[in-house]
Amino acid sequence: MLTVEDLTIRYRTPGGEIEALTSVSFNVARGSTLALVGESGSGKSTVALAAMGILPAEARIASGRILFAGQDLMALSTEQRRDIRGARMGLVFQDPFSVLNPSLRIGEQVGEGLVHKRGLTPKAALARAIELLDEVGIRQPDVVAQAYPHQLSGGMRQRALIAGALAAEPELLILDEPTTALDVTIEAQILELLERLRAERNLTMLFISHNLGVVSRIADEAAVLYAGQIVERGATQALLSKPAHPYSKGLLAAIPRLGERKSRLASIPGRLPDLRAPPAGCRFSSRCPFAQTACDAAQSLQEVGERAVRCGRAEPLAATPWPSHDDGLATIRNAQQPSAGPVVVVQGLTKSFTIGHTPWAFEAWRPQRKPIRIAPVNRISLSIAAGEALGLVGESGSGKTTLGRTILRLINPDAGVIRIAGEDVSRLPQGGLVAMRRLAQIVFQNPDSSLNPRKTVGELLSRPLIRFGLASAGDVSARVSALLDLVRLPEHYKDRYAHQMSGGEKQRVGIALALATEPRFIVCDEPVSALDVSVQAAIINLLADLRDRLGVAYLFISHDISVVAHLCDRIAVMREGEIVEIGPVEDVILRPQHPYTRKLVAAVPRVDGVANFALSMQE
Amino acid sequence: MSVSVGKSEPRRPMPLQLKAGLAITGAIVVLSLLAPWIAPHPWDTISMRTRFLAPNATYWLGTDEYGRDVLSRLLMGGRLSLAMGISATLVSLAIGVPMGLAAGYFRGWLDEGLMRLADVMMAIPPIMLGLMVLAVTPPALWKTAVAVGFVYIPPIARLTRSVTLTLAGEDFIQAARARAESSSYILFREILPNAWPPLIVEASLRVTYAILLGSALSFLGLGAQPPSSDWGLMISEARSFLDRAPWLALAPGAAMCLLVIGINLIGDGARERLDPRLKARVGK
Repeated sequence: MLTVEDLTIRYRTPGGEIEALTSVSFNVARGSTLALVGESGSGKSTVALAAMGILPAEARIASGRILFAGQDLMALSTEQRRDIRGARMGLVFQDPFSVLNPSLRIGEQVGEGLVHKRGLTPKAALARAIELLDEVGIRQPDVVAQAYPHQLSGGMRQRALIAGALAAEPELLILDEPTTALDVTIEAQILELLERLRAERNLTMLFISHNLGVVSRIADEAAVLYAGQIVERGATQALLSKPAHPYSKGLLAAIPRLGERKSRLASIPGRLPDLRAPPAGCRFSSRCPFAQTACDAAQSLQEVGERAVRCGRAEPLAATPWPSHDDGLATIRNAQQPSAGPVVVVQGLTKSFTIGHTPWAFEAWRPQRKPIRIAPVNRISLSIAAGEALGLVGESGSGKTTLGRTILRLINPDAGVIRIAGEDVSRLPQGGLVAMRRLAQIVFQNPDSSLNPRKTVGELLSRPLIRFGLASAGDVSARVSALLDLVRLPEHYKDRYAHQMSGGEKQRVGIALALATEPRFIVCDEPVSALDVSVQAAIINLLADLRDRLGVAYLFISHDISVVAHLCDRIAVMREGEIVEIGPVEDVILRPQHPYTRKLVAAVPRVDGVANFALSMQE
Repeated sequence: MSVSVGKSEPRRPMPLQLKAGLAITGAIVVLSLLAPWIAPHPWDTISMRTRFLAPNATYWLGTDEYGRDVLSRLLMGGRLSLAMGISATLVSLAIGVPMGLAAGYFRGWLDEGLMRLADVMMAIPPIMLGLMVLAVTPPALWKTAVAVGFVYIPPIARLTRSVTLTLAGEDFIQAARARAESSSYILFREILPNAWPPLIVEASLRVTYAILLGSALSFLGLGAQPPSSDWGLMISEARSFLDRAPWLALAPGAAMCLLVIGINLIGDGARERLDPRLKARVGK
């Protein structure tokens, strides 16, 4: 159906030309689903854009062909390509929040393709759009068709986008991270929808994702992209259960899995090679634990049985797993635990916001509007012991972030008691919080936003030391170096600005910043959500190490239950401002009591079969 | 789509506008600063024998009704016009920036109060506001600068406020609050450094407005006083002789035109260079 042959694409940037894809070849058979897996910078979205013929102006196709149903797309005129695009190929983007036009009704946007591609009248297109909305599982499709995008939830928007992509009945659907921006329960629904549509319509899908659990569920075949090259390709289940390329092994070892606890995750050190001048040999060799001198020679994609692997040593390494970091720290840690009393105690904490007003209405004789209030934090009580990590999970809008910030008094509570290290801080004025601020710190989700872009790492890290008088003037520099060492960054990073570091490095600085005051409690607000899998593992390991070495307590907020289950001792499940279930990780994950917890745990996409494989290899 | 580019990105090449702007403005500034030494003739010596001479080999831009060399007066006038534009802009920055920072960060009644005050100031035509300030006291150049600076406080304050609003939502401000930093530290050490790029662009454009407004006030007799040679004043004096000696008005007019274009080019170029993300926000 879709064949890509030897595709090489370069981007012109001010810093030089970047090779985003290097002779990528794959084939998606009619009615099957191929998943492209890779981390940011791997070039996977470029493939989607190239297939659709909507590459940005800076991109240049250096070589290769893209064949769609036997037709060479590049040989076609712009007109002919436009006819194929939308009519025979559909594209669903990652972010349902920004792709829909906010000023057009849903029905118009879904039916748009029918008017342009099939020559329907707007009225007939709208009727068909309603049918399509019904088909993708939207209730009351006639009402939704009249709605504007802002009136719909993320899941409904993604459904509408899929409906729009399906409108002209394309044979091929390209999905670029279609569920990444959605909550797990919604993600599960969308995947179900895609599976059903595929069966009913015999759709061919090119599914682009970084989430191996999702890929495992939806794809027949998978191709792993690294630095613009396909490093491994094969049937999904076989690839995920027995990865052959070291990078695939590393990726799979780096994901935390529900129901399988290890004290540390495997991580992939290093970073992507500079794609302005990609190395001639194996592009992964600088990060590969198995690398040898032979790896400096160019590697070609070789067929190993049903699999294609770009690694000359794949066969001798077939049985060797990615090295694990399980170093027995878990046992040391359990021995330390009992001595700890609670660092944080929260009782009946409530915070509500006014989000709007009811229309004017007469109450007795005078017209009045009543405020509409929501309580993202509603009578929450919890306590966290020293050295303990409490995970807080819940879907977007459940109030996780508000709770974390209210505990730190970054948001003032309406009612309730907050005790940090025994001191009641819930009523103190902001000026009286200095002692508490030293003891309780925060790590943010987005390291781009949490580091002041105009300050160097050294300036950033020395500020809390100076602010709290924790080091004499001559000492500051040494303490900053010690902090960098703690988060495993080299000392010369002192002179770097935020934009000169990768996402993982920025997050390390964010953690060092929180640790500078030697706090006893840190709120980690989705600290790994913005990071790639391999980097995520390293940051989680770092947080675990710091907890074990320094005895810091965490409130670890995340929407990813697998991550929380890996790192934390206890889990609290939050929904609409209330904690519906709280308890030790094993109990909540394996024996969930509340129906919502059950739904949430069941919806987590898993890399099935791999867990067993990993276990069998450890034996 | 994110493409990983190596660690140190080389600076973008300097936009052509910025180069052209810097060349024009730089030339005018240097010539004006060197005026006392390079002026071919004394700028204020009256000589009745050389009245209304058309541009010639001795007097490159001709002479005025008192026989003074127009080129020399132009060069000296450039000093006044530039000083006027820059000091007026400094005045509006000194008051407008703290106003905008406070309004954008503290919000609430302070924001409402300051911004409504700005609205009131903006509702009065700038020239009227300048006239009001100057009409009650005897005219002097520094007063004109202050008056013009005063007129341009609202746009600076509004821009600062809008940049502050965006920055105040960033996590590094929350991180500063989590360190119990004082409000003044957050405003001037965390927010202000990040607000500079759009402010510099805006300020450079304000310099040109200030020069124009200052010249307009001089033209009305409320700025530089004779025999000083502010460009606005030169045009004003030349008005009566437009039919006999058009070069008297043309020379300062063209000089002002060039300066305004030069500074505007710098502003546009700097906007592209300093922060491409802010392009849409600043370029209303």
